[in-house]
Amino acid sequence: MARKACRKMHHKRGITSLRLVAGACALLTLSACGSWRKPPPKDPEALQDYKQANDPYEPVNRKMFAVNSWAYHKALRPVGRGWKKYVPGPIRHSVASVNETWREPSVFFSDVGAGKSRRAGDAFMRYLINMSAGVAGFIDVASMVGYKQHETDPGMVMSLWGVKSGPYIFLPFLGPSNFRDIAGYAISQGLTPINYVPRGYGLLSFNWGYNVLGTFNTFADSTDQLDELEHQSLDPYAYLRSAWQQSRQGQIDVLKSDHRATTPDWY
Amino acid sequence: MMLRRLSRRTVLGAMSALTLLPGLAMATPATDFVGTFGAELTKILSSPEPLQKKQQEILPLLKKNVDIEAIGRYCLGRYWRVATPSQRERYLKLFDQVLLYAITMQVGNYQNVSLKITGNVPSPAGEKVDILISRPKQPDVTMTVVVEGPPSRVIDLYGEGASMRLTQRSDYTAYLSRHGDDVEALIKALEQQVAQNSARLAKGQP
Repeated sequence: MARKACRKMHHKRGITSLRLVAGACALLTLSACGSWRKPPPKDPEALQDYKQANDPYEPVNRKMFAVNSWAYHKALRPVGRGWKKYVPGPIRHSVASVNETWREPSVFFSDVGAGKSRRAGDAFMRYLINMSAGVAGFIDVASMVGYKQHETDPGMVMSLWGVKSGPYIFLPFLGPSNFRDIAGYAISQGLTPINYVPRGYGLLSFNWGYNVLGTFNTFADSTDQLDELEHQSLDPYAYLRSAWQQSRQGQIDVLKSDHRATTPDWY
Repeated sequence: MMLRRLSRRTVLGAMSALTLLPGLAMATPATDFVGTFGAELTKILSSPEPLQKKQQEILPLLKKNVDIEAIGRYCLGRYWRVATPSQRERYLKLFDQVLLYAITMQVGNYQNVSLKITGNVPSPAGEKVDILISRPKQPDVTMTVVVEGPPSRVIDLYGEGASMRLTQRSDYTAYLSRHGDDVEALIKALEQQVAQNSARLAKGQP
C-alpha cells in the first residue's frame, strides 16, 4: 500500500516536475521569443516603416541571414562560381530544365487551385511534352512549341484564397519567406512526385542529385545578383527583404490578373 | 451607285480610323518620352564603341531624363525632414554618384538591345510605362518606368515587380534606424560606397 502510495506520490511528483520543466521551458521559450521580437516603435512614422517591413522577428531573422552570408562566402559562392565557370551552358540548362519539369505537377495543382485553367493547361502540357519528347525533362521542348515556363506555388494560391502572409521570415539556405509561403513550400514538396521515390531504389540517389544540382544551379545563377546586392546596399538584409516582398506580391498580382483564354498562343 | 461607293468609302475609312484608335489611345506624353529616351539609350548601347566610352556618353542622357533629386529625396524617407540643409546637399551629391554608378555598371549587360513599349497605366506616383527589352541570345527583360511631369522625367523603375526607389528607401531607413537615426552616419557610409565604386572603376571591375 505504502509502496503504491509512494509510487503514486512519485508519479505525482514526476508529473509535477514534468509540469515544472514544461512550464520553465514555456517561460524560457516565451522569454526567448520576447528577445526574438523587435518591439514596435512609438514614433508614428517609424511605426509605419515597421508595419511596412512586416518583420517582427527581425533580430532572429538577421542572425539567420548572417549564418547564410557566412556559408555563402565560405563555401557556396566559390563552388557556385566554379559551377558556372566550368560546367558547359547546355548541361546547366539541362539541369535547370529537369528541375523545372519535375516540379510541373506542383505548378499544375497550384494553377488548378487558383482556378487558372490556361496556366494549368500550360503546366500539364509542359510536363507531358518534356517528360516524353524532352527525354525526362533534360530538353525543354515545351518552350520551343509555345508552352513557356511559369511559376505558381501553393503560397500564391493561398494568397488568392485570402490567407494573410504572416510575418516575414528568413531561413538559411531557403532564403526570404513568410509563414504562409513556408506552409506553401511544404505543400509543394508534397505535390512533387520525385519526393515519393521509395527507399532502396537507385533512383533515390538520382533524387538527391536532382535536388542538390537543381538548387545549386538556381543558386549559381543568383551569385551575380547576390554580389551586386552586397556591393550596392548599405543594409543587404533590409534591401533583400524589401525586394523579395515586392517581387512576391508582383508574382501574386500577375497570377490574379491572368485572365487569358484557355487556347494557347500558337493556336 | 455614288451613294453606295461613298458609303463603302466611309465605312472603310471609319474602319481604318478605328484600327488606329488603340495606338492613339496608348500614345501619351509619358510613352512618347520613354520612346525617345529609349531610342537614344539603345543607340548608345548598340554602338560599336568601347564600354567605357558608352558609360561616359550615357551619363548626360541620364542626368537629363532621370529626376535623381526627387528619387534621392524619396529614398531618404522620413529622415529628409530631420536632415540639415548641408546634410541634404551632401547626401544628394553622393546619391547622384551612387545611382549613376549603379546604372552605368549595367551597360555591359545590355548590348545591342531593342526596346518596345507594351503598355501604360496611370498611377498616383506617375504614369507607369511597361517596356520589353530584347537582348540577343539572352532572355527578354520586362521593366516598368514611372514617369512624372511635365517636363517628363523618370522617377522610378520596376524590375521583377520591385520598385527600385522603394527598395533603396528600405535599405537607407533600415541603416539609419540601426545607426541611431543619424543622417551623418548614412552620409559617411555613402562616402565609403562612392570611394569603393571609384576604386572598382579604376581596377576595371564592374
